[in-house]
Amino acid sequence: MNLKEISFTVNGQSVCVFTYPAKPLLDVLREELNLTGSKECCGKGECGSCSVILDGEVVCSCLVLVGQVEGKDIKTIEGIGDPDHLDPLQEAFLDCGATQCGYCTPGIIVAARAYLDRIQHIPTHEEIKDALAGNLCRCTGYTKIIQAVKKAAEQQFILR
Amino acid sequence: MSVQVEPKKLKWVGQRVRRKDGPEKVTGSLKYMTDYQFENMVWGRVLRSRYPYARIKRIDTSKAKAYPGVICVLTHEDVPGFNGFGIVIPDQPVLCHDYVRCMGDAVALVAAETEEIAEEALQLIEVDYEVLEPVTDPEEAIKDSAPKLHPSGNIHSRVHVKNGDVKKAFAEADVIVENTYYSPRQMHAFIETEGGWGILEEDGSLTIRCPGQYAFRDRLQIARVLAWNPERIRVISNPIGGGFGGKDEITVQIYLALLALHTGGRPVKIHYKREESVIAGIKRHPFKVTMKTAAKKDGTLVANKVVAFGDTGAYASLGGAVISLAIEHSCGPYYIPNVDLEGYCVYTNNGIAGAFRGFGVNQVCLAIEQNIDMIAEKLGMDPIEIRKKNVYHQGGLSSMGHRVTTSVGTWKTLDAAENCELWKNREKYKANPSEPWKKRGIGVATSFHGIGMGFGLPDYGAATIELLPGGRFLVGVCSEDIGQGNGTVFAIVAAEALQCHIDDIDVIQGDTRRTIDSGTVSASRSTYVGGNSVLAAAPFMIKLLKSTAAEIFKIDVDLVELRDGKLWAKVPVEGKNVLTYADIYQYLYEHRRETKVEGHFMVPKAEKQIGNNVGMPHHVYGYQTHVVLVEVDTLTGETEVLRVVSIPDCGKVINLQGLEGQAEGGAVMGMGYTLYEDTIIERGIFKTTNFTNYILPTFKETPIIETIPIEEAEKTGPFGAKGIGEVVMIPIIAAIVQAIYDATGVRINHLPATPERVYKAMKEQGVIYRG
Ligand code: FES
Ligand code: FES
Repeated sequence: MNLKEISFTVNGQSVCVFTYPAKPLLDVLREELNLTGSKECCGKGECGSCSVILDGEVVCSCLVLVGQVEGKDIKTIEGIGDPDHLDPLQEAFLDCGATQCGYCTPGIIVAARAYLDRIQHIPTHEEIKDALAGNLCRCTGYTKIIQAVKKAAEQQFILR
Repeated sequence: MSVQVEPKKLKWVGQRVRRKDGPEKVTGSLKYMTDYQFENMVWGRVLRSRYPYARIKRIDTSKAKAYPGVICVLTHEDVPGFNGFGIVIPDQPVLCHDYVRCMGDAVALVAAETEEIAEEALQLIEVDYEVLEPVTDPEEAIKDSAPKLHPSGNIHSRVHVKNGDVKKAFAEADVIVENTYYSPRQMHAFIETEGGWGILEEDGSLTIRCPGQYAFRDRLQIARVLAWNPERIRVISNPIGGGFGGKDEITVQIYLALLALHTGGRPVKIHYKREESVIAGIKRHPFKVTMKTAAKKDGTLVANKVVAFGDTGAYASLGGAVISLAIEHSCGPYYIPNVDLEGYCVYTNNGIAGAFRGFGVNQVCLAIEQNIDMIAEKLGMDPIEIRKKNVYHQGGLSSMGHRVTTSVGTWKTLDAAENCELWKNREKYKANPSEPWKKRGIGVATSFHGIGMGFGLPDYGAATIELLPGGRFLVGVCSEDIGQGNGTVFAIVAAEALQCHIDDIDVIQGDTRRTIDSGTVSASRSTYVGGNSVLAAAPFMIKLLKSTAAEIFKIDVDLVELRDGKLWAKVPVEGKNVLTYADIYQYLYEHRRETKVEGHFMVPKAEKQIGNNVGMPHHVYGYQTHVVLVEVDTLTGETEVLRVVSIPDCGKVINLQGLEGQAEGGAVMGMGYTLYEDTIIERGIFKTTNFTNYILPTFKETPIIETIPIEEAEKTGPFGAKGIGEVVMIPIIAAIVQAIYDATGVRINHLPATPERVYKAMKEQGVIYRG
């Protein structure tokens, strides 16, 4: 297959990569754009550790081919906050102890951020569990992640 | 010399402290090893065996070597030193030369310009095999007729403990139960697969960046294979995307080292795909445990006879130690005077088993706790009452026959279980299942787990503390943070001892150049050992601070007081009478003096060994009780865990947030072990390939988990702390099985308790829903 120029936006910036269109978006983000917050774990759409927001939808970037994102808008964990400017959801993760080894964390925060942006109410435990059902974590037992998402939602909707 | 802090004055210990590494983790800015990028890199790949058991007749790498873009192809002939690795007995070949003994065996290595070229080159390596019949059943494997997988035979180790007179005790007992239990081959399933970098530096030294659980031992294992002085190798092993024991053994470090010597100085990267991780990585030992337990009418346990077989697969790794720990814990935290306990660790061609959170105790806990429940039922006793009656207390004898002089919280954890809301209102909780065809049940179980390496094994820790500009401190402990948050624990301990803010402490871990050897991250030991090591270093730092202050004040050191994180002159002096840590740093810096101290800690041992079993007994144990509520669907056999009460005795809690994190993570991992997880290997071939056919607990299955810590302070621990990383996943296994019984009347002795198994058992016993 031939190399191709592919343009899209990542975290608000236009980028242009010259690569194989069949390369997974995840590999392009990590290897060519040095955005290594998104992780590979299963490579099969089973774990969500590679989650990014593509035109407002959470997708597994290991399953998206870079050729498919021409002209599209992508948000990765790097676009949600940085250690000096944490998103309230990231603060809630720290307050609640919702990260341990941290390898699943970027994918979960991306998925949870997209979820909180989509809804208009404080979600129940069950709703949070459903929303994040595509993300695996082997360390935390999920409990503190659910608490953190709930806490961030409470802040988001009560302060509005 | 020691640091004394009055308990009521503790500022950080026991609080809910945010993780030190949290901000980098929640933003994705933390660089794990495979997140690094280096100019001019090459990709490394491993050629695996094609068969579970075969003799290698010929390896031809010429075509692969000639393939454009291939940089090197290595076989056993390219191993300069000892061609083997393994924590206890290095019986696993780095690159196989005569036999392959499991599908995970490595036969050749390739480095190439791209991952794709490396993959194609693997296909071009020709290996002729003489295929042999695999050995797959541990009990068959120990027979004389079985092919010997290793020169010493197929029994890697045998452990035997005998106390009292079992025969007599069984003859005189009022109730006896005997059962056989089977447990699964659980996969660690850390979210980060194995990978890293090997770099031959310009000065001829080697840097290996690879997540691991003991950088200094990894370095030794690499050095042995290269026949190098370990000093020429730097291993960086932190951070880690999850370990659970699965990165305790060598993963890719040696492959990286060998390849790095053949790439002309270009950095080489290996990063396993999940499929390769499944085949190459170690697993939890599947066990078959036959246990016969006897009691008197009043519920006093009098005898226990155990025969356990652990399948270690093709190589030993830590299999011998796993069996030993299993036998040490096979009677639970109870005193049973007459015991005959026998364990075998057996080689087969079923992959490789090694260290995994719980380390053999998970498997035996199921057996002893189930047997006790059956005894209680026969005697009409309450399950908590029978346990309370039989637990040993501090100062009492364990079933191993040794006196446990350290803290024992079992009774209190059971008492807390008895008084927790879930247990007290159990009838109410059980009364209202979500559907008429579902049944609810409650189970309780307790267990314990040794902290550290146990009798006869080297077990030590060390820490450095360096005073930094601005009066900050850098605490160095090699023991890695595999997610449990021990780095934050070390910071808490240091902040407490040095009377400073936790934000003024930086922690460095997992680097053989920048930290000193502090032993493994395993055996629930790093809070206990690392914390004590920091406490051993702190007085030297305090001494340095005080003596420097005395020099500046021009007074005797005894007239300097350390109070509220500052150094005060107790007598009038010229100039200011108080100095900050920043002042001290400035003075030391200007006088070109060392600002770093170190402290060492030897783990105390029990008084005497149990028989000649290495590692037995332990001196300190963590204890744990779980209460669970389950709901079983009688139409499908599916079990849902609804609520968990986790009651750990970890001694004094250092970081409440970290403790709860361990308790919750352990509960869910234990739930996965009990209900879903098993790596299926048939005739030596992996049927499990990825998470598509290995079921892990997800958000959806997460129960409501409540943690009630019992703080039975241990005087040898840092601020009274013990360890907790493993035991938090253990009794829940038996508690869930008991709850399924409570709900349905069927006992599951073969884990995981899949819907198929539960349904089949219910059908056999006529437990079916009839509208
Ligand atoms: S790596 Fe993409 S879903 Fe697992
Ligand atoms: S924090 Fe380790 S996998 Fe989620």
